[in-house]
Amino acid sequence: MLDLQAVSKHFGGVRAVDGVDLTVARGQILGLIGPNGSGKSTIVNLICGLFPLTSGRIVYNGADIADLPPHARVTMGIARTFQNIRLFGQLTVWQNLWVAQNSSEQRKQNFLKRWLGGSRSAREEIDRTLEFFDLAHKRDELAGNLAFGEQRRLEFARALSAKPALLLLDEPAAGMNAEEIDQLDGRIRRMRQDGITVLLIEHHVELVMSVADRIAVLNFGQKIAEGTPAAVQANPVVREAYLGTAAAA
Amino acid sequence: MVDFFQNTIDGVMIGSSYGLLALGFTVIFGVMRRLNLSYGPSIMIGGYLGTVLYLNHGAGPLVVAGAVVLGAAIAGVYVERLCFAPMKAGAGIASMVSSFAIWMQLEQAAILVLPRHTYPFPPLATGATLEFGPFFVRIDHLIMLVCALGLAAAVQVTLYRTRFGLALRAIIGHPVAAHLVGINVRRAMLLAFAAASAIGGVAGFLVLAVDQQVTPMFGMWATLKGLIAMMIGGLGSVPGAVVGGLLLGVIETHSQWYFGPQFRDLIAYVVLFAFLVARPGGLFGRAPSPDITTPQKA
Repeated sequence: MLDLQAVSKHFGGVRAVDGVDLTVARGQILGLIGPNGSGKSTIVNLICGLFPLTSGRIVYNGADIADLPPHARVTMGIARTFQNIRLFGQLTVWQNLWVAQNSSEQRKQNFLKRWLGGSRSAREEIDRTLEFFDLAHKRDELAGNLAFGEQRRLEFARALSAKPALLLLDEPAAGMNAEEIDQLDGRIRRMRQDGITVLLIEHHVELVMSVADRIAVLNFGQKIAEGTPAAVQANPVVREAYLGTAAAA
Repeated sequence: MVDFFQNTIDGVMIGSSYGLLALGFTVIFGVMRRLNLSYGPSIMIGGYLGTVLYLNHGAGPLVVAGAVVLGAAIAGVYVERLCFAPMKAGAGIASMVSSFAIWMQLEQAAILVLPRHTYPFPPLATGATLEFGPFFVRIDHLIMLVCALGLAAAVQVTLYRTRFGLALRAIIGHPVAAHLVGINVRRAMLLAFAAASAIGGVAGFLVLAVDQQVTPMFGMWATLKGLIAMMIGGLGSVPGAVVGGLLLGVIETHSQWYFGPQFRDLIAYVVLFAFLVARPGGLFGRAPSPDITTPQKA
């Protein structure tokens, strides 16, 4: 579904991402882990089009999307969440989801309807998503007034609003307690049931090990290992670069 | 006492044109945090287009009105493409300075193309008045007031109830995030600019029809009046734009009545100064946040 081919991104002399090949298969949850500064977030930013590539190709459903602007990639079905929450604080919870309905299918709706209130099916979709994220009772609150945990859920919900085929989750568990991580785990599994492909970037190793079908490990902008969670956990290179330091800490 | 009320009525009527001008400004500056000094000159271009159609082709008031609005919108799009679209988020100062350059360009272009400077403009309801007891109201003034209130309501609903308006406000809050949830930021900005200039075009048509003439100086006049009214009313507030305009109009007519025409603008600027010192956010707005000048973090 998504194929990164020898993707590099250099910031001045810093090789944030250096010749990474990565394949996300349809319907799969691919975990992407690595120490701080290993290039995980940069990869997400490259896939969603926040900055241009230095070299390489990003192939999505057979087409090279590396030159498309971010909003066009959303239309094609790539959505993301942010590590540091970026909600539209002046808009209500409901409106946050409404402005994010930008899939090509949603864009085909009758122009006036889309402008003025959304079709009935669009509104029902929003209500369903809010229900799923346990935010229905907050639908008319300003997003800026939500508690932290609710903002995290809304961030996730907003990404789903554009009905993505590929969902990029950038550290969704950051700042969550054990119970919230448990709920998050369930919701990510649900994505797989619904046929959404997920690229999960996460510091919380247990969560990744639990939900991911495959895991890729980055270090210093390069991929050092890839495989099933068990295989990655057993890989001595990974243990040294990543899990080893975590265990020591 | 009759004079006082008649002056207040006149002030409200004239002020409604300032309110209309401020409305377009509010969409660009208050909402999008961009100062477009070419706002007035864009309207002036629309005015010239209208007067050319009137003089050379005998166009009626509706056609002239459409031409002014369309001309202003097109000039607004031109300004947006040159001064705003190419600038990075946060480069508000660069945008403002370049819009000053385009102001000069449009003004000089108007002088070069139409060297006679002052051109007649078709009137609307030629000086007809309505009487309410001892008070008089000009019909063209009344049309202006109705347009100001109607357009203000339309802008308010668009910004707070329609998807397009919400998308615009999302862009202001978080331009990068808005782009990454699939909003076509450049197109939304362009549309907002065109709409704001078109609102200015409505204001321009009504004012020019009252004045019955158009000069290259009209651009500066429109930018100044709109800016002052917006600052008194409140940055980013739609009701504030209208109230600020009406207040400015009332202040001007009373100053003129009590102190003479030479004091009219002087007192208007004193009031503006007082607002900037005592209440920089205006009547309805928030104080300007520093985000026009500081770059948004990616």
